[in-house]
Amino acid sequence: MTNSAGIQKHLSRSEWPDETLVSTYVETGDEHAFRILVERHQERVFGFLLGMVRDREIANDLFQETFIRVIAALQKQRGSYDQQGRFLGWVLRIARNAALDHLRSRKKWQDVTASTEEDEASFWDRLPDDGPLGDELLLDAERNTFLEDCIEQLPPEQREVLLLRHEGDLTFREIAELTGCSINTALGRMRYALMNLRRMMRASAKVDLSSVDS
Amino acid sequence: MTERDTEKVMGHKKDILLHLYGEKNSDGATTELRSMLEDEQLHDEHTALSEVKFRLDHRVRVRPDPVVIDRIVAQAAHAGGASGRRVDRPAVYRFRPLRKLLIPALSVAAAMVVTVGIGFLVSDRIGPDAGIQNLADSRVDKAPPESLLRATPVPPGLIRNGGNQANDPMLAWDEDGRLHDIYRRIRTMKPNTDLDWGEPVPLESLDGLPGSGSSRVKQVGSRN
Repeated sequence: MTNSAGIQKHLSRSEWPDETLVSTYVETGDEHAFRILVERHQERVFGFLLGMVRDREIANDLFQETFIRVIAALQKQRGSYDQQGRFLGWVLRIARNAALDHLRSRKKWQDVTASTEEDEASFWDRLPDDGPLGDELLLDAERNTFLEDCIEQLPPEQREVLLLRHEGDLTFREIAELTGCSINTALGRMRYALMNLRRMMRASAKVDLSSVDS
Repeated sequence: MTERDTEKVMGHKKDILLHLYGEKNSDGATTELRSMLEDEQLHDEHTALSEVKFRLDHRVRVRPDPVVIDRIVAQAAHAGGASGRRVDRPAVYRFRPLRKLLIPALSVAAAMVVTVGIGFLVSDRIGPDAGIQNLADSRVDKAPPESLLRATPVPPGLIRNGGNQANDPMLAWDEDGRLHDIYRRIRTMKPNTDLDWGEPVPLESLDGLPGSGSSRVKQVGSRN
């Protein structure tokens, strides 16, 4: 890092940029620098994983697995992190892969091609068969966060984009690169995710939304 | 609406999404959004998306269990140590601010000045002969100090009492004031600068000495 010495001089450790902390860990093995990285991004990464798998214990395991993979990648001389992109985006890529591996093993993930994205009628057809019916949704609202349940009911690719944007705080361009689709496709998935959430919430008597209908 | 119009509207709807999430950073972004919102359909789109975005933005943030982070950091430490990359960081010269060096130095210097000053003041008050003068002026001899008593070996058979030592004839200071008077007179005596011994003269020239013609001095052994 060309300016890392100047950065270290004027900032406390907790204020160091991600790239400086990564370099410090890789060059000196300083685990405290790595702890700062983990704690700085824990809410984003864990929020994404929990939104994807909807089970806290599994999300904890996937969180640990994600950063174990990060450590392994950083220790390799030719690791995949080249410090050209954002550290968080790279970590979320690893987290996404870990989540998809888990969901595929449970047969809860269906890879969708971009060409079928624009058919809005196929949304209801792709709902998992074991999903709760509308009446059960109303009952679940008494126990769980209704919005979280609605997110869970989204198609996986829409849920993924929505979580990467709201939990991971990635841009749509970064989401597009991470998921291997165009930015227009990423925007389309996000739009459908928001509109579908709005429909589900409006269908519930507990949520008061405006009567504007798109 | 033609297919082209439909595509144009969809394009605008995606632009609204970019505006909503702050990813339209062009100079005319605000003007562009205001222009789009003049269209009723796009205005409704913007309102609907804003409502859901607001609820998503205010979701409770979640964190993993702390023990998970501890395990990750332990693994990081193990991996970092095993790779042998841990090296001592280069020494970082931390320039201590001048005031952090100056204040202690000034404090030490001030303490030294005060100590020396007190020493001078005490010596001026007492004077070089103050101790001796006080002794000379003393009319009542005081008992020897306790420290002297302790340092002085006790003669066998003598019991040192704790009473008035001045009344003990064995240990009383010399009360003769004459000694003090003589000493004081000696101190006050001034040298007679007029004294002049002159040239040495032979004994015979003095009066009364044999050969001098004087009868004052009698020779030893002579009859009177």
